[in-house]
Amino acid sequence: MKPKRPLDPYLFLAPTALVLGLFFFWPLALVFKNSFYRWDMLTPPEWVGTANYGQLLASGELWGTIGRTLSYSVVVVVTSLGLGLGLALALDRPGKLYAFVRGAVFSAYVVSWVAVALLWMWILDADGGLLSTLCRSIGIVPKNWLGDPAVALYTLAAVSVWKITGYSMVIFLAGLQDIPRSLHEAAALDGAGPISRFLHVTWPMLRPSASFVGTTSLILSFQAFDVVRVMTQGGPVKSTTVFVYAIYEHVFVNLRVGRASAMTVAFFVLLLGLTALQLGSWRLGRTGARRA
Amino acid sequence: MSARLGRRDALITLASSFAALAGAGCARGGKDGEASLWFAYGGTNREVLLSLVNRFNAEQSTYRIKAIYQGDYFEALAKLRTAIAARAAPALTHVVGEVVPYLAQAGALLPIDETHPVTGDVVAALGQTGCFVRGGERPIVCAPFNRSTPIAYYNRAIFDALGLRPPTTWKELESVARAATVRAKDGTVTRHGFTCPIDWWFWVALVGQAGGTVVEDDGTPSLGGEAGVRALEFWQRLVHEERTMKPPPGRDYNAWQATNTDFLAGRVAMIWTSTAFLKYLETNAKFPVGAAPLPGDVRRSVPTGGTMFVVPTASSEHERPAARAFLQWMMEPRQANEWATRTGYLPVSQKGLAELEASGYYREHPNDRVALDQLKDAFAWPWAPSLFRIQREAVQPRLEEAVLVRRDARATLDEARRAAGEP
Repeated sequence: MKPKRPLDPYLFLAPTALVLGLFFFWPLALVFKNSFYRWDMLTPPEWVGTANYGQLLASGELWGTIGRTLSYSVVVVVTSLGLGLGLALALDRPGKLYAFVRGAVFSAYVVSWVAVALLWMWILDADGGLLSTLCRSIGIVPKNWLGDPAVALYTLAAVSVWKITGYSMVIFLAGLQDIPRSLHEAAALDGAGPISRFLHVTWPMLRPSASFVGTTSLILSFQAFDVVRVMTQGGPVKSTTVFVYAIYEHVFVNLRVGRASAMTVAFFVLLLGLTALQLGSWRLGRTGARRA
Repeated sequence: MSARLGRRDALITLASSFAALAGAGCARGGKDGEASLWFAYGGTNREVLLSLVNRFNAEQSTYRIKAIYQGDYFEALAKLRTAIAARAAPALTHVVGEVVPYLAQAGALLPIDETHPVTGDVVAALGQTGCFVRGGERPIVCAPFNRSTPIAYYNRAIFDALGLRPPTTWKELESVARAATVRAKDGTVTRHGFTCPIDWWFWVALVGQAGGTVVEDDGTPSLGGEAGVRALEFWQRLVHEERTMKPPPGRDYNAWQATNTDFLAGRVAMIWTSTAFLKYLETNAKFPVGAAPLPGDVRRSVPTGGTMFVVPTASSEHERPAARAFLQWMMEPRQANEWATRTGYLPVSQKGLAELEASGYYREHPNDRVALDQLKDAFAWPWAPSLFRIQREAVQPRLEEAVLVRRDARATLDEARRAAGEP
């Protein structure tokens, strides 16, 4: 069958394609091109082939940055998921007090990253900070939370968890409210205890919410920049230089657009790989569910 | 029909409005006689600069300067580079001295020779001629603005109580820091004797004092050779063995701010930082603040620092007359002296300096005199376009690593030299 107006589908697609092309594919192509040049934005670019990628691999910078970013992300995703679920289960009750606590937990999510970072810098100050003072008052020698290379990355992860846990909680609360009460009642009549009811009723019904929270937290943790920029500037000793901050440092501090572009391409490939893994596991889960 | 025409007219009007708005948004520069000044200070220094800009705008009606804050030196530089690439740079800004040769080689700076009658009056060690090796043999592309040297600040109350005097040698620095350090019964340090940011500028001072040169006149990054190693090991010894020096947390200016905060809170007895913080520290300290020159090892040596005024090539041509007028005005003795005496930076005008000397200002403010006297120990930076990259990419991150996790000083500097040699 010959369509009467063959151009119409393309015309409908055009606005989206234009926006995607202009703001996503075109910059991506430019970044890919720039990764083969040495360029400082002021002098003409010089073709260097794959030297930027070679340098990133040979110096160990790429693997170091991937390792730090993944460590940060794992802590942020796992902890915010666990805490969000726990809080949702604890606060899924009627009453003004519960509503107030739910609101208080979620409020951290709407505060800007810069404000959160400044607040936590004050709390975590090694000498006069609230946490260090509390530690000293109970006889514990406080850590240098932001100044110790072994601790700083996990301190930043903890701050991020504090900020985004409210978001996880809200998604889980929405998921919990979608579970019909009759399922819990039927399970209780069959003799299932609270743990059994959670494992066999609540958790299977919450899996889509958990998957959504996991994906969005992962994206958020991979985009970490503000908290690093304000609290540690990638230090001490590069221990908090995660991917986006490393790209920023190369282009704006070291004047190396080519190397920053190579880092960006590597970042893109890493995210593509992680997305493929996630899609794969999601499809496997759906097939398994259908078979069951 | 008329309704259709009306809709079309409305659409055309709407489209024209959008185009006009877009055009206005893209148009560069402001009205004739106006110029943008991008600056990079917070706190007291920002207030002083803004008051000077306001006075310039009030004293005449031909030109108008719009001062725009752009973050710290390095944030401002990142924005400037982006603006230069986009051909939308401000008509006047200020950049750290070390980056001037790089920007000049890239053709990003306009010569400012036409302001020579005024810039010719500058204190030699602080302008392009004296600040760079053979700096006078090339077109003048920068004029001194906020120029400084590192100096030592000490808590006079602690020093008087302990009978200490500001150290004049590294050995004395070690013993003074030891004497001023206070430890609790469990061995934890409750007050450090000394601190300074683990920063290129202070390491360069140490290398010079140990008899080395960081970057040779031809641009070779020697990083001081043995003197560089000794300088780094000196810091390592104070931090890890003596435990009398506190490495301030944070990088770049966060570490500088942490140094000031520790000093003002009495957590540290003596610090090294820029003369730029003189008035800030004197005003905010609850104890008398003393200032002293940096100690020497085999010799005395300090780098100059701070920033230079520059006029970017990528600025709007019609903004330049206002920018030049403001630049000349700022270099005049009255403004140069006001800037120096209200902040702590060095006075850049020779005539202005002579006026300050004659007025007895330095007798009344001996702390202000320290950086000025130190200028005789200041060295000229090489005119090397790679200087800035050597500083920011090769050396600075490795200093922090060497001191905080006590990496072998020699291996660290070997690696930094290799990194500095990278194209």
